[in-house]
Amino acid sequence: MKTGKQLMLQNVIKDNQVVHQILGICSLLAVTNLMSNSLVMGLGLTFSTACSSFTISLIRRLIPNRIRMMIQVLIIASYVILFDIILQAFLPEVSRALGPYVGLIITNCIIMGRAEAYAQKNPPILALLDGLFAGLGYTLVLLLTALVREALGFGTIFGYNINLIGFETWTLMVMPPAAFFLTGTLIWIVNYAELTKHHKDLSSQQLGGGADHD
Amino acid sequence: MKQGYLYTVVFVLVAAVLFTAILATAQTVLHPRIAANQANAEKAAILYVFGIAPDDFDLESLFEQYVSTTQVNGLEVYIYADQAGVKNYAVPFTGAGLWGSIHGYLAVSADLTEITGLEFTKQSETPGLGSRIDEVWYKEQFRGIKIADAVPVFADQSGTALVDAVTGATSSSNAVLQIVTETIEKRVSQLEVLLP
Repeated sequence: MKTGKQLMLQNVIKDNQVVHQILGICSLLAVTNLMSNSLVMGLGLTFSTACSSFTISLIRRLIPNRIRMMIQVLIIASYVILFDIILQAFLPEVSRALGPYVGLIITNCIIMGRAEAYAQKNPPILALLDGLFAGLGYTLVLLLTALVREALGFGTIFGYNINLIGFETWTLMVMPPAAFFLTGTLIWIVNYAELTKHHKDLSSQQLGGGADHD
Repeated sequence: MKQGYLYTVVFVLVAAVLFTAILATAQTVLHPRIAANQANAEKAAILYVFGIAPDDFDLESLFEQYVSTTQVNGLEVYIYADQAGVKNYAVPFTGAGLWGSIHGYLAVSADLTEITGLEFTKQSETPGLGSRIDEVWYKEQFRGIKIADAVPVFADQSGTALVDAVTGATSSSNAVLQIVTETIEKRVSQLEVLLP
């Protein structure tokens, strides 16, 4: 059984849902042109994933196996709608800016993925942590992408002007294709780094193995 | 395992009722707040078409101070007046967008010859494409258009377009022009009874 720390490392870095599993790309392309929208979207997904994983895990022994996915969707949808209502009540500006995307958190594969892959088979607290860190991993990638897009596309970060030298802002960065290029690049860098590390590990193992024989 | 049909059906029923109850409670408890936010958004939209930029804090007082309402043939009309007299009128509109209806306000000058502002309060155009009609650069283009030049085609006599469309969102852009044209023809024209 994994500890919370292992789950954190695994879900945020080693097995990041976006970079490694290529999940949640649709919302990534859509909301990452502003840091503030990305943050709220990330928090919304984190909230929904953590709570639904916890709830599903809590009642995992009661859920009839053949309708478990229906029940999972019911639980996920409830939390997402709850989040939507809370946004409408307390952050109407953000709710308006995110528009239909909040409702679309329901269809984000990360939530269902964690429910099926983890929450269904593990105790509640661990499932909660698993969902939490999976959501935070998604948020991290969202914020990284948004940082580049907002800085180059609007010349701002979280709405604060950083365009001190007055460079021409890059309209493409504001549009969804930019996220496509940036995420592709990020996935490439991460995979390349891991492949290089893997090769190094392999060759050092061989060297180490040889030394043992001596 | 407990997998009989009866258990399954009962489980679904209980789960559905339980989670719906939770959501219904949240919705009921927070509804007054959401309604107040929506009312504020409408007021902010009306102030925007009148060219007044409100801070959240003085939205109510600005609205009270400058805006009054009247009815013309059952149509709600918002009037922006200061000491010098009436400056603008605004009318609400609803029209067909690409995916759903578009709601908003259109303001015209007191002599009804010029569009002075346009704002959307509700639209469900394609996010990232058609929904960009809600961006400031697009809406600001409508300020100062002479109605005589605008209706019905939004090109002036030289054939030059008065409003740039949103790239990649031709249908939504055309829908807005259509809605504005209809609003001027059917609603703004009724305001003539208010002219001195």
